[in-house]
Amino acid sequence: MFKGEKFIEETVTKLKEGITGKALIAFSGGVDSTVCAALVNKAIGKQLVAVHVDTGYMRKDEPKNVKKLMEKMGLNHHFIDASKEFYSALKGVEDPEEKRKIIGEKFIRVFEKVAEKEKVEYLVQGTIAPDWIESGGQLRDTIKSHHNVGGLPEKMKLKLVEPLRDLYKDEVRKVARILKLPVAERQPFPGPGLAIRIIGEATPERTEIVREACDIVEKEIESAVEKGLMEMPWQYFAVLIPVKSVGVHGDRRAYGYVIAVRAVHSIDAMTCAFSKIPNEVVDRISTRITNTMKDKVNRVVYDVTNKPPSTVEWE
Amino acid sequence: MVKIYVVDNGGQWTHREWRTLRDLEVDTKIVPNTTSFDELVKEGIDGLVLSGGAPRIALEDDLGNSGEYFEKAKFPILGICAGHQFMGRFFGGEVAPSKIPEFGKIELTILKQDALFDGVPEKSIVWLSHNDEVSKLPDDFELLAESENCKNQAMKHRKKPFYGVQFHPEVEHTEFGEQIFRNFVKICEK
Repeated sequence: MFKGEKFIEETVTKLKEGITGKALIAFSGGVDSTVCAALVNKAIGKQLVAVHVDTGYMRKDEPKNVKKLMEKMGLNHHFIDASKEFYSALKGVEDPEEKRKIIGEKFIRVFEKVAEKEKVEYLVQGTIAPDWIESGGQLRDTIKSHHNVGGLPEKMKLKLVEPLRDLYKDEVRKVARILKLPVAERQPFPGPGLAIRIIGEATPERTEIVREACDIVEKEIESAVEKGLMEMPWQYFAVLIPVKSVGVHGDRRAYGYVIAVRAVHSIDAMTCAFSKIPNEVVDRISTRITNTMKDKVNRVVYDVTNKPPSTVEWE
Repeated sequence: MVKIYVVDNGGQWTHREWRTLRDLEVDTKIVPNTTSFDELVKEGIDGLVLSGGAPRIALEDDLGNSGEYFEKAKFPILGICAGHQFMGRFFGGEVAPSKIPEFGKIELTILKQDALFDGVPEKSIVWLSHNDEVSKLPDDFELLAESENCKNQAMKHRKKPFYGVQFHPEVEHTEFGEQIFRNFVKICEK
């Protein structure tokens, strides 16, 4: 069995030996990077600089919450709003692999700028097993390029440190609980963010729609779980499908996007079953999304595919 | 401590096989499929798991040194998915593209009880992800399990401790997957 205490002890020792200068951690505020930051912080303390990049593709209120988290953990941190840069880099880009690669490279370039200023040599990432497995390489087929692996540029000045490489999410959560981190039970959120929850071009307008839709799905499902109506899914969110369909709003024709709702059960993301959401919950999600989004969205569908054959995120 | 290595054929779930074995307190490691038989013997292994992978066995793709392992090994081998198909082809059976490939959740029916399926009911849920299958059982093998759309879900060599399964016992959603691994570990301990 995986033993969290032993893992923490061994990893901190290894990090102390392995990192001889300053290190920078790519801090998203999710479970993986937060656990990573806590471990490296234990090993090298103030030699660690945490950097959070607001890509513009974050969930609602996320940048604000991450800032608070970094302060609470006592991390030496930087907060960088790069949303304009990310939006313009993805302008006109439709292919999901291209989107992931552009985002991966942008992240690194932002980190390199901070690294230069702070004289940092190491880049710490919260990469976990499914990230490099799905990114492929050599024998393994590329399912999708995770921004922190397959999305990394070939030429990089920083040395990579990935203490969680062999762990799956359930094991990372165990470590987070032992370290008493407030993010231990948070659902996973992909590094490229909402950019891969918009099929096709991730424009700022579409981003606002999917951000709001994701927020509604999260709040409704969390409240249903609290009421005991359903089990907590592994991951639950909305996807914007850039196809328009006809609706009727107040006796007038409407023509808006389709939102797909996705919720899956899993322990490690390597196989997933779609969640059985009670009809009354689906109903509330659908009504809230269409009413909030008015003429922008007039159709909501629920994704009933397992992984395999599909993957959790659509891109 | 029993020592079972996982041969990586580039599968999405190779690392899951490693994790399942590790969780069962097995001394385990992932090795590339280019590892020679002699190197494995030097390590003193008690058994081997051949992972799945993207290669299309029906299209004559190879699986590293797997053939050498089949020729020389006295220890148990469990071939999974592509590993199972390659085993079928190597011993004279046939592998062909599935008429109806299976992805995700499928019901498995055990046809013949065997040590590999101790504690697994006749019908259970397994997860799959394959384009090809063993379409003709090799002569020296017996069939252990099937599903609605795939006649060869599990097989066993009549004289050697070699097993093949088309489904994936290593993934969380396969109901009795860990039990099957536990059984394989026991077979390796003997």
